[in-house]
Amino acid sequence: MTDLIDPPGPAGLTTGATGTAGLVPGTAGEPAPIAVAPPPIATAAPAVSAPIVLDRVSRWYGNVVAVNDISFSLGAGITGLLGPNGAGKTTILHLLAGLLRPSAGRVLIGGTPAWRNPAVYRDLGLVPEREAVHAFLTGRQFVDLAARLQGLPDPAAATARAIATVDLESAADRAVGTYSKGMRQRAKIAAALVHDPSILLLDEPFNGMDPRQRLHMMDLLRSMAAAGRTILFSSHILEEVERLADGILVIYAGRLAAAGDFREIRRLMTDRPHTFVVRSSDDRRLAAAFMVEPAVFGSELRDDRLTIRVTEFSGFTRIVARVARDAGVSLFEVAPTDDSLESVFEYLVSRR
Amino acid sequence: MSLSGPIAAIATVTLRALLGRRRTLLMLLVAGAPVLLGLIVRADGPRPRALVPALEGLIITTVLPLIALIFGTAALGSELDDGTAVHILTKPIPRWTIIVPKLLVAAALTALLVVPSTLLAGILIGGTGSHELGVTFAFCIAALAGSFVYSAIFIALSSATSRGLVIGLAYSLIWEGVLAGALPGTQLFSVREYLRGIVSVIGPHGTLTSIVGGQGILLAAVAFVVITILASLRLERFEIRGAE
Repeated sequence: MTDLIDPPGPAGLTTGATGTAGLVPGTAGEPAPIAVAPPPIATAAPAVSAPIVLDRVSRWYGNVVAVNDISFSLGAGITGLLGPNGAGKTTILHLLAGLLRPSAGRVLIGGTPAWRNPAVYRDLGLVPEREAVHAFLTGRQFVDLAARLQGLPDPAAATARAIATVDLESAADRAVGTYSKGMRQRAKIAAALVHDPSILLLDEPFNGMDPRQRLHMMDLLRSMAAAGRTILFSSHILEEVERLADGILVIYAGRLAAAGDFREIRRLMTDRPHTFVVRSSDDRRLAAAFMVEPAVFGSELRDDRLTIRVTEFSGFTRIVARVARDAGVSLFEVAPTDDSLESVFEYLVSRR
Repeated sequence: MSLSGPIAAIATVTLRALLGRRRTLLMLLVAGAPVLLGLIVRADGPRPRALVPALEGLIITTVLPLIALIFGTAALGSELDDGTAVHILTKPIPRWTIIVPKLLVAAALTALLVVPSTLLAGILIGGTGSHELGVTFAFCIAALAGSFVYSAIFIALSSATSRGLVIGLAYSLIWEGVLAGALPGTQLFSVREYLRGIVSVIGPHGTLTSIVGGQGILLAAVAFVVITILASLRLERFEIRGAE
């Protein structure tokens, strides 16, 4: 969590009016009065001309609301769509890719509606999460199909270029059905960027990749963003977003829970109630010592496990050593337990 | 931008997807059933009087719709359901350029199996008398036309619903099999009746009597075009299935 890479550039992200980064206010009807680190488009009105625009978009399936009144516009750069599984990330990407009709609001790609408008695909690439591809095609045939359907003048050359870009040459002439998950993922990415789109949508792109492929893909996406492209990728893994994205959209239960610069969101995420498991030479005495500390609001000793509930992550980490020393107890281990993204998101939403 | 590239590309992929696997073998067996039956009947010599009921009952009402149903729903429906189609849908091409090649491939494969099956079964059962050959030929033409109309229906169904196979089967069995025979006027919406009309016009006099008669050809052509357009319009509004 500490190998934090400084964001390389401006967050390509606006969510309404300019201001300091923060959380989206609770009332669903209000426009989100937040923006982030220097955004390329800083205006209160929806930046309709931005490459990607969601304007008060909702999507429901029968009675189930999958996406609930979300607005944002994205410019060049890499934006991470972060949220637990089932939060609505895939629905948002499908709305952007014109594969779902918005139940309310507008979805614009390059200023034109995404829904029922195949022309947007000329400048848009989608890497879906589902692995389904025609298993009998070779990787090269699969990418070549995309090149031909894009109507490229020289499909073979574009295919070779895309395959080289994702580092898939050695397997390009094998059937996709024989590919590993990571290879399949790279074949899908090659097919999505064969026409060199200025907008790239990726749904959980790093699933199934080994660490080396992951780094390679991150480098690739960074260089594409540096060339002025707008890249939006979804992930349920905080570290992926942290390492790659300039800006973050946090989605929880169909709502935009937070948006902006990742350091700001990171702070919001860490300055929340936490639970630690502590092992020490005398758990009982340590539990008593913690009880008088204002940063601690509960401790529990059960089955030889001391659990401490604290109000604030950093506050606790500052005092834990001192308290133990004053009590004459040796600390063996202090480990945060409650670090699942689920609890982080719940906190972000409930905090409003 | 030339559209011949995308159409050819989609046709090739669809053909490769439909061939291979166990499906082809199964469909060969289905198409072979009338021929097998013909061989059994043939053991006692030709039976010209059984020719029309055999071809109508075996080919037009059973083998043809069944094979068209399998190929038609597999050509589009299975790709839409398993997500493969996303790679084709997210391309800047009009939706009819996706429907048409898939439809043509499914129809051609259906015809390729059903027409020879009709021909062989017809000759085995009816023999090679000129009258009987005329009847068999008429059924071959009807099977050819039916391959296209039925495939169009089943492609359109799979663009509209993920239960295309079940609804297609219900159409074939319940609508065409039961209702369209019983209620007057409903024959106008029964492919089977169009095909009977085609046989009644092309075949020797008295082969069949059909309510639609010679209009069957026109109705089949109109149905084919209208259903293909509907399928293209429906695909324009296609929403991805199996989302979160």
